[in-house]
Amino acid sequence: MARIEVIGLSKTYLVGDTLIPAVDNVSLTIEQGDFMSIVGHSGSGKTTLVSMVGGILRPSSGQILYYDEDLCRLDDDHLSEYRNAKIGFMFQFASLLPILTTRENVQLPGLFGPGKTRLPKSRVEEYLEMVGLKDKMDAYPAQLSGGQQRRVAIARALITAPEIILADEPTGDLDEETEAEIMALFQRINQEKKVTIILITHNLALAAKTRIRLRMTKGELTTL
Amino acid sequence: MNDLTFLLVALKNLQRKPFRTGVLILAIGLLVSLLIFATSFTISVNSSLKKASDRLGADLIVVPVGARGFAEEFLLESKETSFYMARTLIEKIRRVEGVTAVTHQTYLSSISGLCCDIIPTRIAAFNQQSDFIIKPWLQKSIGRPLAKGEAIAGAGTAENLGLGLLNVEATLFNNRFKIVGVLERTGTGLDNVLFMTEENLEAIIKSGQSPLKREEISIIFVKLEKGRDPDYVGRVIEGNIVEVDVVARSQMGEKFIAILADINKIFMVAILLSSLLTILLVWAIFSAIANERAREIGIMRAIGAKQSHIVKLFFLEVLVLTLIGSLLGGVAGTWLATRLASSFTLIQNLSASLGTAAHLVIAAVNLILGSAICLAGALLPINRIKKMEPLLAIKEE
Repeated sequence: MARIEVIGLSKTYLVGDTLIPAVDNVSLTIEQGDFMSIVGHSGSGKTTLVSMVGGILRPSSGQILYYDEDLCRLDDDHLSEYRNAKIGFMFQFASLLPILTTRENVQLPGLFGPGKTRLPKSRVEEYLEMVGLKDKMDAYPAQLSGGQQRRVAIARALITAPEIILADEPTGDLDEETEAEIMALFQRINQEKKVTIILITHNLALAAKTRIRLRMTKGELTTL
Repeated sequence: MNDLTFLLVALKNLQRKPFRTGVLILAIGLLVSLLIFATSFTISVNSSLKKASDRLGADLIVVPVGARGFAEEFLLESKETSFYMARTLIEKIRRVEGVTAVTHQTYLSSISGLCCDIIPTRIAAFNQQSDFIIKPWLQKSIGRPLAKGEAIAGAGTAENLGLGLLNVEATLFNNRFKIVGVLERTGTGLDNVLFMTEENLEAIIKSGQSPLKREEISIIFVKLEKGRDPDYVGRVIEGNIVEVDVVARSQMGEKFIAILADINKIFMVAILLSSLLTILLVWAIFSAIANERAREIGIMRAIGAKQSHIVKLFFLEVLVLTLIGSLLGGVAGTWLATRLASSFTLIQNLSASLGTAAHLVIAAVNLILGSAICLAGALLPINRIKKMEPLLAIKEE
């Protein structure tokens, strides 16, 4: 049984009086431990598709089955719990909260977890060590480089032990060396922790490092 | 390691723009101080009027016709006025059905000059046999009746005359009086009166320095049978005896109550406008905050924050702001009410003062009110931002 099954998914945006289809009748199966990339031009619908899979955007039609549960039918609270427990997000911009330290940013998903469980210090340290930033625990985002901020975001995405990482152009504005470091980190996480990774990128060289490569064109998904 | 909490995040959010936070605290503080000052002023005047009329211990007050206002000024405001009527009216009133006890007083004002050696002071001569107004205070103060040639000072009179020491002597209308005590504060205009028994009036009239004539009195205090309607008996007295006006206890201070009602209206308009301004200010600032933090809110939602978590974070910010603002406003408002209120003639003359407990209750109630007003202002922007889909919130910036 597939972990996530996307069936006939569509999303249209109303721009002025015109309905613009961003994702058009997409079907997709995602298995545990997949390392998948989706490439495509800006505006092709990559972010919209992945956002719907991650539960941060409601589709116009279609189904997203997490095992047999249709995410489209979940209320906001249950969808938030799904995001908190099962999904780790990485965005194409610096997504850390500027008022929180590195440690607090990594702790943040625990604040919204069930039963007010707080993430223990040892676990936060473990994940910061994994991304090589244990010595920057008390630094604020403004005191970190772009690459360091992305690595903190990776630690934050992993801290709740999610099943899927959704990374939307996570290295878009980084230099090649940092980009390579982050890709290596993704590969390690995928292999060691069996975390499913879906990477959105317009960089074909980067996509080549993933096992499943898909292309999004005008809202339609095809194999690369 | 400190746990990350909602309160910590809220506090850090407030710290990021100290000037904006300061402006909000100041606005809330000003609103709460206005609320507290207005409430304290109104309650203080109301309470003083009630206390004053209750402490007189009479159901009805009978004064010469046309002197109703003078009597209220004398009894509540400590104003110097003289009004007289014939002593024979006492018996007429005693015979009215429902009247159980009657006592009278005669008021004089001392004058500066050869006849008196103290500053101008109001003097009340009372009948020691029939009295039920001064007796309870007299018992507490000296524990015995006053003798001829003795006087006892109201609390305010003692302060005005500088009577720190007892057994001082004073000359009034060419007669020597020994001031044997000071009455405890009553909260009525009688606090500013020097009391003596009416046995002394004959000598004062003989001095020729007073406008008072023989067989004249100023006021009659009347007690009624239990269950009698003071308004009805008052109308009966006025109907039977044309030379007098009657004021029932419940009507005491009507002039002030009317003035107070007007002042209350002014306060209400000021409070309403201030509340609206505060709501608008909080709304505008929180709308700006919601827009500024749209991406952060979207990120928090993406990593699992529920709508209720976002509301909790914003509400904690509002609560911290209102708590600090209200506490500062509470201190400022209470200070204004206790210190500046003495500049208001209305309160000064009524000897009004609120106890610490009353001040605390007023401050607490207005603190809650201030918080509610602030929350009302923040409600719309918070509601708007919490309902946005996470991705749209992230993209809004």
